[in-house]
Amino acid sequence: MRTPINKDYIDPVGKSVPRIDGLGMVTGQTKYAFDVSFPNMLIGKMIRSPHPHAKILNIDTSAAEKLPGVRAIITAKDTHNIKFGSNEYFFPHTIDQMALEAEKVRYVGDELGAVAAIDEETAEQALRLIKVDYEILPAVVDMEEAIKPDAPQIHESLNNIAVILPVNFGNPDRALKEADYVREDVFFAPAAHQAALEPHVCVGQWEIFSNKVTLWASSQAPFKCREALAKTLKMDLNDVRVIKMSVGGGFGGKLEMLPMDFAACLLSKKAGGLPVKICYSREEEFLASRRKHGMKYTIKSGVKKDGTLVAITGEVLADGGAYCSYGPTVLAAAIMRIFMVYKIQHFRITGYRIYTNTPISGAMRGFGGVQAGFAIESHMDMLAEGIGMDPVEFRLKNITSPNMVTVNKMYLTTNGLKDCIEQATNAAQWTKKRGQQKNVCRGIGIGIAADVMGSKMYKSHESAGSIVKVEEDGSVYLFTGAADTGQGSNTALSQIAAHELGVSYSRIKCKSGDTEITPFDTGSFASRVTFISGNATILAARDAKNQVLDVVAQDLDLNSEELDIKAENVIRRADNSVVMTFDKALELCYAFKYGRQIIGRGSYNPKTTPIDFRTGEGNVSGSYGFEAQIAEVEVDKETGEVKLLKLWDAHDIGKAINPQSVEGQIEGSLAMGIGYTFLENLHFDKKGRPANGNFAHYRLPRTMGLPEMKSILIETNDPEGPFGAKGMGEASLLPTSAAIANAIYDAIGVRIKELPITPDKIIKALKEQQQTTKI
Amino acid sequence: MPTLKINNKEYEVNLKGHETLLEVLRDHLGLTGTKTACEESECGTCTVHINGKAVLSCIKLAADCVDDEILTIEGLAHADQLHPLQQAFLDKGAVQCGFCIPGMIMSAKELLEKNPTPTREEIDYALDGNLCRCAGYLKIIEAVEQAGREMKAAK
Repeated sequence: MRTPINKDYIDPVGKSVPRIDGLGMVTGQTKYAFDVSFPNMLIGKMIRSPHPHAKILNIDTSAAEKLPGVRAIITAKDTHNIKFGSNEYFFPHTIDQMALEAEKVRYVGDELGAVAAIDEETAEQALRLIKVDYEILPAVVDMEEAIKPDAPQIHESLNNIAVILPVNFGNPDRALKEADYVREDVFFAPAAHQAALEPHVCVGQWEIFSNKVTLWASSQAPFKCREALAKTLKMDLNDVRVIKMSVGGGFGGKLEMLPMDFAACLLSKKAGGLPVKICYSREEEFLASRRKHGMKYTIKSGVKKDGTLVAITGEVLADGGAYCSYGPTVLAAAIMRIFMVYKIQHFRITGYRIYTNTPISGAMRGFGGVQAGFAIESHMDMLAEGIGMDPVEFRLKNITSPNMVTVNKMYLTTNGLKDCIEQATNAAQWTKKRGQQKNVCRGIGIGIAADVMGSKMYKSHESAGSIVKVEEDGSVYLFTGAADTGQGSNTALSQIAAHELGVSYSRIKCKSGDTEITPFDTGSFASRVTFISGNATILAARDAKNQVLDVVAQDLDLNSEELDIKAENVIRRADNSVVMTFDKALELCYAFKYGRQIIGRGSYNPKTTPIDFRTGEGNVSGSYGFEAQIAEVEVDKETGEVKLLKLWDAHDIGKAINPQSVEGQIEGSLAMGIGYTFLENLHFDKKGRPANGNFAHYRLPRTMGLPEMKSILIETNDPEGPFGAKGMGEASLLPTSAAIANAIYDAIGVRIKELPITPDKIIKALKEQQQTTKI
Repeated sequence: MPTLKINNKEYEVNLKGHETLLEVLRDHLGLTGTKTACEESECGTCTVHINGKAVLSCIKLAADCVDDEILTIEGLAHADQLHPLQQAFLDKGAVQCGFCIPGMIMSAKELLEKNPTPTREEIDYALDGNLCRCAGYLKIIEAVEQAGREMKAAK
């Protein structure tokens, strides 16, 4: 039987075709790691520290081991005591976390072992029977306390500063002296949590005699997870298989191996090869996964009367929690993203990534850019006001342009930032509204941003690979290492494969993210998958197409270069005349005479240079994406309530492979940005524990009160992007908080510099405003 | 042995008494379409129908459901025919990671069966207990509107 063809899905790039994996999701058939179950599967639980900072003196597991139903207990003595981390290439000294800590615990929740038992109740009972002797050490949970000379030392690093990152260009001190207007502002953006609905969950199974291990995981980066597992388990890379199941959201939180992944594998080994499942509770998610860095952002800039931005200086303090994770590069991104947005020659911001006895900060959607975006885009409005200039005009004067090299050697090629600003302001009727609605406490504000599409995170290359296999029945298998975590990359890559191969999208079946079967891919982060994995997929589809055309050409005694495949037909390039259908061509390929299997392969490594952190220079991405956002608000001065009326988001996405999916990414980002602006504030008690670490107290955006959102897609057709596309999964989140804060200022004249923006902060600011006017 | 009637099928279940309906569906019967993201009635991901009403299965004891008609996401489509809500969620691009979708659809179903032409405010209110972290809700709301129109037309 031949694969049925849906003609509506021919030439699918640019069409909002339905998701390739949607049917399973709406019927409840899709299997997530959360749903994986095997016969005789054990349930694992982590042994966690109840203290924020303590020496481990002794662990006595003897009583727990005697408990009926307990099958394995592991502690550091069962491990090779190998540290892991995520910035091994740029900052090797920040590899600081042990899969199971042996000597010291550094936050409440720190892992010092794990148990596996026949069910959850038994595993939990076993945890209660484990006796750990600690020598309790003084702890520090506030980052500004942690850098004081007499603060408790969490790691070896001086003053708890894991990384000092000075980013320095030109002569900012001299340039500030020449400026007509200089101002300094301090902003605070708090910690937050990715809060993916599927928790961290995995099943590990050890093959005892072959010494191979398989992990079924909820991962954004299965190949990076494999690397960390192989390292900490001291195994060969290919003796570890990581199978990414459908992932119930990641947002940066599932980029790394966690101790639980390691523990599931090692528990399985100790339990004689029985599979072990570890599934986090929501409380464990907030306590012991990864979180967003809280950042204090001090920024001082100078401008000329004509609006030219001449220099920026400042300091960023980033609360890193107990270990480094992706922290150093998050900090770098929080400082250096500005070069993609504003033309600036004189610059000095120094960043400090600080250890505290709190949960570990790592990657979260926006990767430092959300905190920076709030600070910088609020500050830019204040600079514009200082010289009496409209904030849009001020930005248009200072933004980067197409085909320019930034001060830190980023090569911006296509750049739709100006177009984004103009289209967003037109759609929102900026000139009619700005400063004109104060009588009704309404205001409008802008924020702009830019983002990379890929960034070096793996130890060597950052390439992606794809295989396109055309079967005898006409179905087309796409194998990609890319990890769809819900953003729709399996769909977009399948569209790309079908389009390039010249066939209907309905032929495609996509297998992704299995380290033993699919080609290598560094994972879903830095908005890289459409751009990098997309390019690899084009190459694989082109290779498959050429293999089909070779057979057709041979059979008809034609030159294969004269042929192409378009819209399900083999055609002559010269006059588009049809030679035969694609199905007929496949019959030839798989005929006895030729027996030619069609297996196309593609590998793409973006033309980039990693940042050299001695100079701050590097063209980190193969292209850059841009965006402008406008918020309109209405403030109730009596209650301090802010009503967000509408958000407009104009986004240079190069080319929309799937417009509906692109809108979905924008709307999801905006909702996350709204949550961070008004609700989300992960904070910690005196012992460094999340004070609001559950869904009852950590408030997320819900349907009620969501504003209207308008996405405007700007297609700049990037020459390096697949069909012109750029990455776009994160940028829409970056300017949201500032656009809203700037709109509130326009409405009622008060400036909120600390997120989240809550009614009490508005009321307090209004009172201060009244007092200042009285004086 | 107690019997639970789920999606028009009868399941004999060995209950100790303390199991939630969620645990029984997922761990005893392999009906893993119903998810949970909090197990404390905050996320809506575990929503199922009991006698036509949307209920959070994480805080419902299975033993209390013995005489009830239970409907889960697995029981919504008939043969190859998707429920209008399932089709609308696909058409409108309302699905991203998919983890919240079973609960979201079950909450929307209760609303549309009472009121196939809800206002935006009524949809917001009905879905306010269901968290989604991916999609920003707009396409979900559009999907519910489309499904409502189709369910009304089919009546």
